[in-house]
Amino acid sequence: MDKIALTRKIIVYAVYVLFISSIQVSFPQYMAFRGQTGDLMFVFVVLTSYLFGFGDGAIVAVFMGLLRDFFAAPSVTGIAGEATTSVGIGVFVLFMASVLGSSFFTRRMHRNVSFAFLSVLAATLVYKVSGHLIIWIWTSLFSSRPYTLSMSNIILDSILPQLLVNLIATVPCILILKFAGPYRKGINPALIDEKGNEKSSWLTI
Amino acid sequence: MRKLFTSKWFIVTVAALFILVAIVLGALPGSPVNKLLKPVGAVASPIQRLVRNGGDVFSDFWAAITDGIAIRNENEQLRAEIADLQYQLTQNEEAGIRYEELREAFHIRDTFTNYDIFGASVLSREADEWFSVIRAGLGTEDGIVYEEGQSFAVVDVRMNLIGRVIDINESESNILPLLHEGFVVSGKVNAVNGANVTILGDAGLKRSGLCLVTDIAEGVILEPGTEIVTSGDGGLFPQGIPIGVIETVDYSNPIDVTATLRPYSDIGDLNDIFVMVPYSSNAERIVAAEESEAAATDVSSGSEQSNG
Repeated sequence: MDKIALTRKIIVYAVYVLFISSIQVSFPQYMAFRGQTGDLMFVFVVLTSYLFGFGDGAIVAVFMGLLRDFFAAPSVTGIAGEATTSVGIGVFVLFMASVLGSSFFTRRMHRNVSFAFLSVLAATLVYKVSGHLIIWIWTSLFSSRPYTLSMSNIILDSILPQLLVNLIATVPCILILKFAGPYRKGINPALIDEKGNEKSSWLTI
Repeated sequence: MRKLFTSKWFIVTVAALFILVAIVLGALPGSPVNKLLKPVGAVASPIQRLVRNGGDVFSDFWAAITDGIAIRNENEQLRAEIADLQYQLTQNEEAGIRYEELREAFHIRDTFTNYDIFGASVLSREADEWFSVIRAGLGTEDGIVYEEGQSFAVVDVRMNLIGRVIDINESESNILPLLHEGFVVSGKVNAVNGANVTILGDAGLKRSGLCLVTDIAEGVILEPGTEIVTSGDGGLFPQGIPIGVIETVDYSNPIDVTATLRPYSDIGDLNDIFVMVPYSSNAERIVAAEESEAAATDVSSGSEQSNG
């Protein structure tokens, strides 16, 4: 990759990471459906990994995660019952999202755009299910209060609306990554020969 | 060996472990890991403000176009309301004079006289269901002296409770909203000798904009519409801040009666909030901080002189 292409890539990613996270935490009310907010940051990370490989996705995920922790850190109820903000969970969640995004429906589907929706759906499903599971385990072990969400609440009020809003958020994210993204022609040149060079292309998986 | 280091899953495992260690270290009180976000904020905050202001300008512009007729109607309503309020004001002035006389005679203490009220604007909102702490533009630079573990009540313009401050840095604070499942406050029925209850955020009720009311003593009858205010028992909040009204009561289990409460205010709809800081403790801490700073300056200048 030449210097100009690399500079363009860095600038484009930096601009998108800053603006998408700013939009996410400034106007969540415009992206909400049944209490769930379209997660642009999450969708952007999954799509970056899916379209442009794990290397790009992981780096974007770490920076996006830092901003997520800075702007809207999750509140964790500690063992003593006190609620505190936690640093690093955003980085972890988005890093794992980038791993998921780069691991499914990629090479076999030739990073086909239509399968990007499937990739976002799968990653969202894993995120929501594991999130509820972790909170349930945490509250069962350390909290005096039970986790009050029923299975139908989790499915109908949390997972399904989140899948829908994330699916909608996928459309603008694909458009900007493909047509105004970090690579000319919307393709990471490092990924072109990934099919024939599987062993050495771990970064592009 | 080289193969191992270039394996995707090896890198993923190492990175995940590294992040998890950082999360655990960050959870320790006074951990320097939390300061890692400071430079992130220095870059991201101005851009987020720019985006927010841009959005506000656009939304104001759009509202200016679309709201013309509604504003005209509202204007007429407001004129009528102003006339009504002016009449009420005259009545209240009279009542105010009477109250002052009674206050002096009975040594009544105003509810929130011991609190400094700091105004702030909401900077950023929740990112999703779980990343839900809200950032406000109020920090120690604004005159609040904060010690770890402290918490301050956050209210709206009508003094209704909307959350509490759980963390403050130089220029910003993190607020836990009332509906968040980690929120707990001791409340009471707003009546003389009103029954004490506990109000909790609840994951299941959050979507309906409700809180859970527990610890309702046996024999206490709560009815929909009953107003609940802070009791002051928890020590964090002053007594008498309005929280909301009881919406439903569940008497199905007589030994564990619960109710739902609809808060008066939701931080999700607000742009401006107010933080209540105990006046005496804040003033004492400011004086103590200034004194220790002065002492430190004296010591350093003394050592410089002796060195010189």
